[in-house]
Amino acid sequence: MYLWKCWRDTRWFFVVFLAIAALPMPMAAFASHFGTVIRDAGPMAFQNTFMMVVTAVAYALATICAIQEFTDKTAHFLFTKPRSRGYFVWTSWIVGFTELLIVAAVNLFVGWRVLAHYGVSAFSDGGPQSWNLVSPQSFIEAAIYACFAYALTFALAAILRSGLKGLGASLGLLAGMVGASVALQMRWKIHLPVPPQQIGHLPLALSECAWVMLALLFVLAAQLVVERAET
Amino acid sequence: MTRLAISTERLTKAYGHINAVQQLNLHVPRGAIYGFLGRNGAGKTTTIKMLLGLVRPTSGSARVLGMDTSTDRIAIFQRTAFVSEKKTLYPLLTPKELVHFSRGFYPTWDDAAVEKYSQLLEIPMTQRFDKLSNGNQTKVFLLLALAQGADLLILDEPTTALDPLTADEFLRVLADSAIERGCTVFFSSHQIEEVERIAEFVCVMDRGRLLLESRLDDIKGEFRLIIAVGNSLPRQTSSQVLSVVADGDCCRYFVTQDAEGFAAELAREGATVTQVASLGLREIFLHLVRKEPPCISGNAGATLVGSSSSF
Repeated sequence: MYLWKCWRDTRWFFVVFLAIAALPMPMAAFASHFGTVIRDAGPMAFQNTFMMVVTAVAYALATICAIQEFTDKTAHFLFTKPRSRGYFVWTSWIVGFTELLIVAAVNLFVGWRVLAHYGVSAFSDGGPQSWNLVSPQSFIEAAIYACFAYALTFALAAILRSGLKGLGASLGLLAGMVGASVALQMRWKIHLPVPPQQIGHLPLALSECAWVMLALLFVLAAQLVVERAET
Repeated sequence: MTRLAISTERLTKAYGHINAVQQLNLHVPRGAIYGFLGRNGAGKTTTIKMLLGLVRPTSGSARVLGMDTSTDRIAIFQRTAFVSEKKTLYPLLTPKELVHFSRGFYPTWDDAAVEKYSQLLEIPMTQRFDKLSNGNQTKVFLLLALAQGADLLILDEPTTALDPLTADEFLRVLADSAIERGCTVFFSSHQIEEVERIAEFVCVMDRGRLLLESRLDDIKGEFRLIIAVGNSLPRQTSSQVLSVVADGDCCRYFVTQDAEGFAAELAREGATVTQVASLGLREIFLHLVRKEPPCISGNAGATLVGSSSSF
């Protein structure tokens, strides 16, 4: 039932996000004289569009999904239902995350189909990268960053009991991490990885798993805070 | 099975230096309609939140339907319905959708009750919650609570902001359904008349302390107002005389326990006892919680609690 309620709360946003995910590449193709520009710069546009869309949707969904119950003052109603608070936190998170995955998949599919329509190959074959061919790895990294940003924003919104405060704190924290990483590198030559960069000498796949695990830990932290919160 | 629906033992909640609830010992019998009276800030809502695990006690313990509130929360929620002081629900959902949402949580959900009470209370089931009047919003809460098939209904100031007609209808449905289904109703209020109207047991709380807990009939039989005229009448409060208001040679005594004996004693000392009157719950409540020194010095809490308990 709570799953249904979470879906109902976000369904119109989801439809809008789907439109945002699906429309840019076809519109770009249409606007660029039916494919002239797409043939030249399509793959790069595809990659950039994907990065922007999944990142923006990740922040937006986390802000909308995360524990509206606190901001709506309906915590008393929900938290006196015979379910654990952890159930509510994770259900809300999973609904948003599923929507994020669908938005990302739609964006990928539509972009790939548009490029294929004009006979353009989107991805490099692993050899030296041409300026208008992109590596599949960059899509994976964008997806991992979106996952990380979504989980962090969701967790902070739940902890701070406000979607907007959570969004602000999350953006601030991620900007702070990048700033700290740059400062450490410049001052002491210490490499502090920020998502989705490779962590130390870990293999790339393991690094990516580590970022995803860290993202899940944020949600676990949010669960623990919500379970102990007095309302 | 315990015969108490709710029991607390030295339940205490402190926020910093402020004691919201102090050493509270409540005894709510199963199947009773129990009115929880107190002024604003008396500690009623904090107590209810502790019973439901929404707030952690600083010390003490509470049991609801025989289960420990600190460890058996989910089991308690399966058998307890709660109407919050904040009558806020998901604004975009209609009552029909709220029923759909709530139904899945409870195996004991009663669709026939939804049908019955939605018609009885005349709730517009397809209108968005935020478009409903205050009265209808409160009725939706009651509908959801009654349809849950709970053994215990906890209501925190359910009739606040309702007009007299709607409040009357609300209380009538609440009392009738409680009697029909044999469930326990525990409701807080500062509306003395409504407590007096439907409650079988009453508890009075003030400044976090329990002042009085007993059957309503016992409470009414317990307290008397004695008006006496005479020279040098006693003006001290005691465990029996809770307050004294003097006006010249005339004294008004608020007395508990053996009022007739006290009146006889006054008469023996030469006073003319003009009246020994029984009191309504309103007068008793006002005497108990009034801020004026006579009542406070009487410290009703220490002596009254449990004095007439008949559980």
